[in-house]
Amino acid sequence: MEDFIAGLVDDLDSGKVSRRQFCEAVALAAIVYGAGEEAANAAPAQGFKPIAINHISYSCPDYRKARDFYSSVFGMTPVPQADNGREARLMFGPGPGNGGSFLIPRNGSMATNAKAVVDHICYTIPNWDEAKVRAALKEKGLGEPTGRPGSLHVYDPFDYDVQFANAVQENAFRR
Amino acid sequence: METFVAKKINDYQTGKISRRQLIETLTIAAATAYTADGAKAAAADPTLKVALVNHVSYTCPNFKQAADWYSKVFNLDQVGETKIDVALPFGKKGEKPLGVTANDVPLTHLIIRTRDLNAPAQPGATPRRKSQARIDHIAYTIADFDKDRVRAELKRLGYANPRQDGEHSFHIVDVNGYDVQISGIQMSALTDLPAR
Repeated sequence: MEDFIAGLVDDLDSGKVSRRQFCEAVALAAIVYGAGEEAANAAPAQGFKPIAINHISYSCPDYRKARDFYSSVFGMTPVPQADNGREARLMFGPGPGNGGSFLIPRNGSMATNAKAVVDHICYTIPNWDEAKVRAALKEKGLGEPTGRPGSLHVYDPFDYDVQFANAVQENAFRR
Repeated sequence: METFVAKKINDYQTGKISRRQLIETLTIAAATAYTADGAKAAAADPTLKVALVNHVSYTCPNFKQAADWYSKVFNLDQVGETKIDVALPFGKKGEKPLGVTANDVPLTHLIIRTRDLNAPAQPGATPRRKSQARIDHIAYTIADFDKDRVRAELKRLGYANPRQDGEHSFHIVDVNGYDVQISGIQMSALTDLPAR
């Protein structure tokens, strides 16, 4: 935290960031407090040990629509200084540096040479209350979701499949 | 918080406090604000607020081949295999995700599948819509990221020249040519900001 703020002061002194950007960045950095930089476990002898999804890069025709959808529907938190008119960042989950993740909606094409596709992402919603979840979807204009109780699907503004579920219905060890 | 920070900048820029005092004051203030914001967030309506990625659904021509690649590179176990898919959780049964205190948030996992996404819908089911968006890459936070060690390990895995992206991450492609980013926990939404 201290190093981060020291870096920001350097940027302020050198004119790289404005007073406003400095204030916003410090306010946002507040959430870093409590985050442990030490990972839960040591690296394995070979390969790597994933401990979290760091970020998801989402290409679409208009990142603003995606940004607004994921922040307003699923409560993801935009990072103002990361929004450059072509892409944005939306934080969710644990704090940054402590297993937290972020979504990057960005303007981009569908072109790819890959033979694989990530056809949907499923998000966990804790304290699941089926009636409240369905009511909240209706209130946000998303209508009736598909799926089954405890594991639902909706489409985002670009018809990308979004799944959200509780721990009972979607758990790798209960398949 | 922002008003307080603005006042402290004034104090610093007019010489009332030193650079060191500014940094110390803001560090403590940020810690205090975090606690307050946490309490506020807990009070907000959490009905649809996502807590974590539950799973990433990855569809490819040969799910066994892809699952073996992810198992080899990321040391992931394969559980619950069916004829068309398998799950690869980020840890062992009973473990909790990093940074999560709630008891009803399971470990993130990959589901690697082979299926036809354009297949006609089952009778009575709604056809799958054709998306105008795509997930062009996933970045994985790995334990104990050390740039030199990661580079050496990637070389051992057959990636002699991985693309470095900032101080704390590399890009490679998986067995299907899909972009995979390997990141340290130091890379977060607040670091490595995009150019304006």
